[in-house]
Amino acid sequence: MTTVSTDRAPSVDKPPRRSSAPDAAYSLSSRERWMRRAPLLPGLIFLIIVTQLPFVATLVISFMRWNALSPQNKGFAGIDNYRKVFSDSALRASIVFTIVLTVTVVLVSLLLGMLIALLLDRAFFGRGVVRTLMITPFLVVPVAAALLFKHGIYNPSFGLLNGTLTAIWNVFNGSAPQPDWLTEHPKLMIEAQLIWQWTPFMMLILLAGLQSRDKEVVQAAHVDGASPWQVFRYITFPHLRKYLELGGLLGSIYIVQNFDSVFTITSGGLGTANLPYTIYQTFFSAHDYGLASAQGVVVVVGSLIIATFALRVVSSLFEEGV
Amino acid sequence: MTTTAKQKVGWGTANTVAVVLAIVPVLWIVSLSFKDPATITDASFWPKKWTLENYRGIFKTSEFTHALINSIGIALIATFIAVVLASMAAYAVARLSFPGKGLLIGMSLLIAMFPAISLVTPLFNIERSLHLFDTWPALIIPYIAFGLPLGIYTLSAFFREIPWELEKAAKMDGATPYQAFTKVIAPLAAPGMFTTAILIFIFCWNDFLFAISLTSTTNARTVPAAIGFFTGSSQFTAPTGSISAAAVIITIPIIIFVLFFQRRIVAGLTSGAVKG
Repeated sequence: MTTVSTDRAPSVDKPPRRSSAPDAAYSLSSRERWMRRAPLLPGLIFLIIVTQLPFVATLVISFMRWNALSPQNKGFAGIDNYRKVFSDSALRASIVFTIVLTVTVVLVSLLLGMLIALLLDRAFFGRGVVRTLMITPFLVVPVAAALLFKHGIYNPSFGLLNGTLTAIWNVFNGSAPQPDWLTEHPKLMIEAQLIWQWTPFMMLILLAGLQSRDKEVVQAAHVDGASPWQVFRYITFPHLRKYLELGGLLGSIYIVQNFDSVFTITSGGLGTANLPYTIYQTFFSAHDYGLASAQGVVVVVGSLIIATFALRVVSSLFEEGV
Repeated sequence: MTTTAKQKVGWGTANTVAVVLAIVPVLWIVSLSFKDPATITDASFWPKKWTLENYRGIFKTSEFTHALINSIGIALIATFIAVVLASMAAYAVARLSFPGKGLLIGMSLLIAMFPAISLVTPLFNIERSLHLFDTWPALIIPYIAFGLPLGIYTLSAFFREIPWELEKAAKMDGATPYQAFTKVIAPLAAPGMFTTAILIFIFCWNDFLFAISLTSTTNARTVPAAIGFFTGSSQFTAPTGSISAAAVIITIPIIIFVLFFQRRIVAGLTSGAVKG
């Protein structure tokens, strides 16, 4: 399952710099070859034992009828669990929400991150301080951020959102609407919290990209009479493309798996259960180990497909771009 | 490029809006954490009366202190082991060529993307049968597993930048391999290893999913899991004050780390993939 993409993994594109004898390794005795691999082995063996062996266990359990609440009724179930995974409408809904959540958060935070990076790319007084202030949302421990948004910001009676509304309406002597944000827009609220947290991350990566751009080309374009929009469209944006890809890829990997925000903000209620949360529920609340394992296998297969695809996209970009 | 006064105002306004949106929620946590528990719902932006009541509250019982010790201990041990193993692997990746190298790197990248939730369920059963459940190793083991690929990825990028010819030069000047490593290579590699350690530490420190799934008591429960279980003074009051205080305490170390090493952390994240 791991061989699909590896020949194109980005880090392999460039052979190591010290290449005085590039083919020497291939003519070594087998003992020497293993000596060369030796420093890699402890880490690799550890990874295989801790991640792949449990996965094999999951695979086996996913074909079993095993609910911890009725331990006597344990046995081979064939593909029953998988049938349940794909026929359950609640589960389908959670797959859809996982995709919507990931796409929304990644796209919006990439866009905002790019706008802020463009703002910060200009020299102005206090830029360092502004940049530091901008990244703080990413540094707040995720659970703490999610709890803060739930209790401190979305709370209808004393949250920051309704407090701000009241303050604004007070200026005009009106009475402010006080919506109950979490009940009325649960999905939007989770997305907003994650966007708030992930925009600085995208901004950091894109800012690094902007600063590696060749300043002379930009200046030459200005001299030749290019408008700022043309400079952005034909110089900056193509240059940023691989940084956008990198940010999008890293962001998707983490947001697809998001558990903290869903668990703390809504506890999966009101249609906000995403896949990781659903698996957690099946396992720890329903104690249906068989079904949870089947869901887990589906998630692994799904993310392998996404990861393979993403690796290919990214590495093809590197080949064109660098 | 000339900037008109009007443009300057425009850029300044945009900057201000962005900073306000980013920073106000953070200031709001700080403000809430200093509010008197009785007035926490008064919706005023700054506390009317500054108090340390919330901070005193969370340290009153041993629950939070225990969690803090668990968090620090578990994250430090996992980070240390992951950095050692990742350095060895990254050294091999960056310096030596051997058949199957691409496969190994691809594998570790894929493991980094392995969904954590699919690992939680089997680990729960395995650790229970090995009597590891609710102990420090219960969390250290998965943290190493997820810290390792991240470490291999960033360290390979750092190691590739090291001028390894220096090692050969030192040996020609009569240094033993050990001296060549400790006196020449180690000082060059240290900044990269340190940055990697910070990234892995932050990952362990922030984790919530493993922390609530693989622990059940204060024995190994870390801070993120502990604040998830905070309750208010009565079951009908939200524990907003204590959560804010705890959030401030656990976020401070991360902010300090990152502020000091900001540039290098960004370099670590982008150089691996972009410079290839």
